[in-house]
Amino acid sequence: MKMRNLIITLLLFVCASASIMGQTRYNELTFPDLRSFDLPNVESFDLKNGIKVFLVEDNELPLINMTVLVRAGSFMESGDKVGLAGMTGTVMRTGGTETYPGDELNELLEARAASIETGFGMASGSAFMGVLKEDFDDLLPVFKDVMLNPAFPQDKIDLVKTQNRSAISRRNDNPGPIAAREFNKLIYGEGTVYARYTEYEHIDNITREDMIDFHAKAYNGANLMIAVIGDFRTRDMKRKIERTFTDIPRGTKRELDFPPVDYSFDISVNFVNKTDVNQSNIRIGHIGGRRANPDYAALQVMNQILSGGFSGRLLQEVRTNLGYAYSVGGSYISNIHYDGVFFITLSTASENTASAIEASLNEVVRLQNEPVTEEELAATKDRMLNSIVFRYDSKNKILNEQVSNTYNGLPMDAFDRYIDEVRKVTVADIQRVAREYIQPENVHILVVGNGNEIGDQLERLGEVNSIDITIPRPGQQRTEAAGDKAKGAEWLGKMASAIIPESAEINSLTIQSEIAMQTPMGAMNIRSTTVYEYPGTILQELNTPQGLINMEFRDGSGTMRMGQMSQPLPAQQADQMKRSLNQDYVNIARNRNNQTAEYLGMHEIEGKELVKIHIGPDADITFYIDPENGLPFASKVSNFNPATGGDTDTYTFYENWTLSDGVNVAYKIVNKQDGEIASTITTNSHSAE
Amino acid sequence: MKKLLSLAVGILMLAAVQNAESQSLESFEKNVTEFTLENGLTFIIIKRDVAPVVSFMTYVNVGSANEPVGQTGIAHIFEHMAFKGTSYLGTTNYEEEKPLIEAVDDAYRQWLHEKIKTNHDEEKLADLWETFQELEEKAKKYVVNNEFSTILDQEGAVGLNAFTSADATGYFYSLPSNKVELWFTLESDRFLDPVFREFYVEKDVIYEERRMRTDSSPFGRLLEEFLSVAFSAHPYKNPVIGWPSDIMATTIRETREFYERFYVPSNITIAIAGDVDPAEMKRLAELYFGRMPASEPAPILTVIEPPQRGERRFIIEEESQPIFLKGYKTVANDHADAKALQLTASILFQGRTSRLFRRMVTDEKMALAVTGINGFPGSRYPGLFIIYAFPNQGVSLDLIEATIEEEIAKIKNGEVEQHELDRVRTQVRASLVRSLANNTGLTFNFAGTHAVTGDWRNVFRDIDRLNDITLDDIQRVANTYFFKENRTVGMIRTKSEGDEVAEANQ
Repeated sequence: MKMRNLIITLLLFVCASASIMGQTRYNELTFPDLRSFDLPNVESFDLKNGIKVFLVEDNELPLINMTVLVRAGSFMESGDKVGLAGMTGTVMRTGGTETYPGDELNELLEARAASIETGFGMASGSAFMGVLKEDFDDLLPVFKDVMLNPAFPQDKIDLVKTQNRSAISRRNDNPGPIAAREFNKLIYGEGTVYARYTEYEHIDNITREDMIDFHAKAYNGANLMIAVIGDFRTRDMKRKIERTFTDIPRGTKRELDFPPVDYSFDISVNFVNKTDVNQSNIRIGHIGGRRANPDYAALQVMNQILSGGFSGRLLQEVRTNLGYAYSVGGSYISNIHYDGVFFITLSTASENTASAIEASLNEVVRLQNEPVTEEELAATKDRMLNSIVFRYDSKNKILNEQVSNTYNGLPMDAFDRYIDEVRKVTVADIQRVAREYIQPENVHILVVGNGNEIGDQLERLGEVNSIDITIPRPGQQRTEAAGDKAKGAEWLGKMASAIIPESAEINSLTIQSEIAMQTPMGAMNIRSTTVYEYPGTILQELNTPQGLINMEFRDGSGTMRMGQMSQPLPAQQADQMKRSLNQDYVNIARNRNNQTAEYLGMHEIEGKELVKIHIGPDADITFYIDPENGLPFASKVSNFNPATGGDTDTYTFYENWTLSDGVNVAYKIVNKQDGEIASTITTNSHSAE
Repeated sequence: MKKLLSLAVGILMLAAVQNAESQSLESFEKNVTEFTLENGLTFIIIKRDVAPVVSFMTYVNVGSANEPVGQTGIAHIFEHMAFKGTSYLGTTNYEEEKPLIEAVDDAYRQWLHEKIKTNHDEEKLADLWETFQELEEKAKKYVVNNEFSTILDQEGAVGLNAFTSADATGYFYSLPSNKVELWFTLESDRFLDPVFREFYVEKDVIYEERRMRTDSSPFGRLLEEFLSVAFSAHPYKNPVIGWPSDIMATTIRETREFYERFYVPSNITIAIAGDVDPAEMKRLAELYFGRMPASEPAPILTVIEPPQRGERRFIIEEESQPIFLKGYKTVANDHADAKALQLTASILFQGRTSRLFRRMVTDEKMALAVTGINGFPGSRYPGLFIIYAFPNQGVSLDLIEATIEEEIAKIKNGEVEQHELDRVRTQVRASLVRSLANNTGLTFNFAGTHAVTGDWRNVFRDIDRLNDITLDDIQRVANTYFFKENRTVGMIRTKSEGDEVAEANQ
């Protein structure tokens, strides 16, 4: 082979007269055939208890890696314990066993530069051991112990729960993960196996017994596969594996039956507001397909045309021609066990959001409307076929492919068959599959970006649906459990009539007050004028020692102005304004017929028997009504504090009710947190229209 | 008892690892061919015939630290331009395209001159911009989009990409081994004859990269702020991607000057690993890269960061969850203390048994993660020993800081034990051994080490040098560098509701 290489090079040297010095340009080069090479032999056999074993010798380095693939995953979790599989996998390793408690295991392994790790994903689990070959015999029993006899100590369960809670609290910090998560929900439906995420409540629900059960269901012979690669002799390794793993009980083989995806094509434009970014994170798409589809190969070629390397059309147009994005891509995904997605993903400056979406979708439409040229198809196939050698460039990759085909029930030659099909794909096939499987007019569009910078661009794409990504606090659904709705409606009616006695139509309300508040800098007094323009606007002028601050909140977003400086209200503050509008007693009274109220019994505060009702779901406020006059005596609002992971309850006490312009307003309001007075608002006058 | 036993076994194993390591140096020497062309360009060929594939790495000793004032980001801009083709690649007619590219640059510079005026004339600015865009459109007509990358994709190249760091720029991909000459012809022309086409659209792409990596990422924002506070004079203070106004101000002219000064043969190291014949590689190297004219060595960076006069500290208040970051100024990687600092970092952060991980994550459950590294943002010049942590819910940044401080004090007091030092040495060795089994890893490691230290053998020798480090060295470097006046502390504190009004009244 080398000889031939040399001859060809020499020939080129002679022929390439165009280049004086003997250099050859890319288009004048011809290449020798690729050296043929022997694929390593993968030895495979079954143990008596059903464990499938795969072995490959690789003596390049004095190492041995063993991977155990487990037929179990988070798809087996119940919907109120999302995260159980992952946490079980984590604690198997961090907790260790009776013989090798986690912390001792750490010392033992790290002193030998060895590693043992365990985990579960959605459709499979795994245990891994990587060791120097000299350590293999010593550590194999340790590995087995970790796999089969996890101790699940409470301390490490607490640890994994703490870690998971922290992760939840941080899940809205970066735009990429938000986009991935919310898009998944749009495609598969929130709460389905394919689009569910661990919440605080799930963490509270998960117990040690759940972990023990999950582990027991996962680790039995019929559901295990073992793959070993490294510097060993197959015969020896075979014997060691038989000796070590044959006594694992067989159990029953689990079918990987995933629930069907319930999808009907629809169009929507969705927006998540994140005011601390200057770039929109965009996902566009709809449901995808399955690996078993006879059009799989044609769809893979189409994917390459749309988004393969630097040559894909999306990158060529959206990045290189338009300069709209650094990262852009897309694919029609065909999964083995359940339907994949078709999606385009890109990030672009806020001001280019709509144009970049249109430009991306246009590339998909083009695939449907214009046949690709023969040249482009040939180049695309070249790209796929010429890089095949990299699929087999390490023994590990060859081993992994066999293991993965076996796990997924694919034939051993699945890849070769796929390549044969790729060769046969035609220009007509590309256009056909683009038309048959892609519906660019019927996509869900999701934008995670800065509403203040994006402005109204999204409206030109369709009606915009705002997605609230506020993290649900633990037990949110359970607090104020279902009460009597009929009685609730009755008391809400009484309260509303007490606040707006003559059923006057109130469209705006102006209140002049003085606010005395406790701040970290000490007590502070502010004069304020608040104008509610129902239903969606609050204008507030605060006269502070530092000067005037004007806050304006309209239709979901707001600005704050101080002197010459004007800045958008951060999403958190805007949410707070929205909540205070929803929780405003006058607004609730005006809008009594669109509220859900639940009667939660009588409740005593400061020696007074009060009627407790909860108004929801938007307001999410509890009122304690004075049964004598129907006016609220107090209210309670729970705000989730992400820093502590718990709720902070704020109680508000209403006094000095004063009627003017047809509205009753409490002229003294005291807010208390943790029993301490946080602020007192004294109102001097109000007027309504 | 068990612990003692495992410790004893551990020491035995340590010997085994050492043995394995020295074997691999010997076996590697046999498979490595090194030569330097007359123009000063060095090649390292690593023969590894596991499969008929080859990986290439062109490692240029220029990073963002070498950028001229007012042109931060230019090293990275050039890296992007190195994918835009040559006088014969990426164009339909270079003769006609060439003057247009120059005209585009002139037009942009005129617009820029108006734009930076405090009271610029909006109308004039709009006119200048229109002229610029018209020329850009004209020039674009001759462009063949991404032809360089497309050819490589089509020939089966994988992993085509590049990086720019504070210290270096690298260009890399892999090919089937029958196509090595394709790499020689494309790669040599790429650096002999680069054409800066589509320069300004590519800058838009770079702005997007900046928005993604820095502006829209809490940790990205914290790191950028941190470096700019930590350094006074040294260019390590600048973001690799560049400050927005510098990206705006950079034109083709400066980028070409930068390229001409730094992309000289003596400043380039190339590593090739895979199924190749070293003699053939040498022949092709001379044929293709021998054409690069020898030139003046690249300018050296003379800036020395002055001693810090006191602790530096800042807080970013924003919506995202808290992050803690601190850094001490230390030394460059050729300094005698660098190895002890590297091991100190391992003792603190590497693995589940490391001191900070064990205490803060496992035992006291105060942090979601804690880690760090010596030599940030680079190690060619004296950089920082940084430590950062993501507090768990409800844990104050003060507690995080105090705990890290306590653990550092223990190192300064000499509380590190011999078995910890042995363990981290074993870990460093083992991770080297594991990295030797793939072509791409080999090219990165060998080219980088050769470029920075002058000899690829230091990949192995550096590991040996770790054996000379004692517990006293660990204690000494901790006391030498980890003190208050030498540090910068930065953090993100979550802005809570109500802060707005309270602050307005401060």
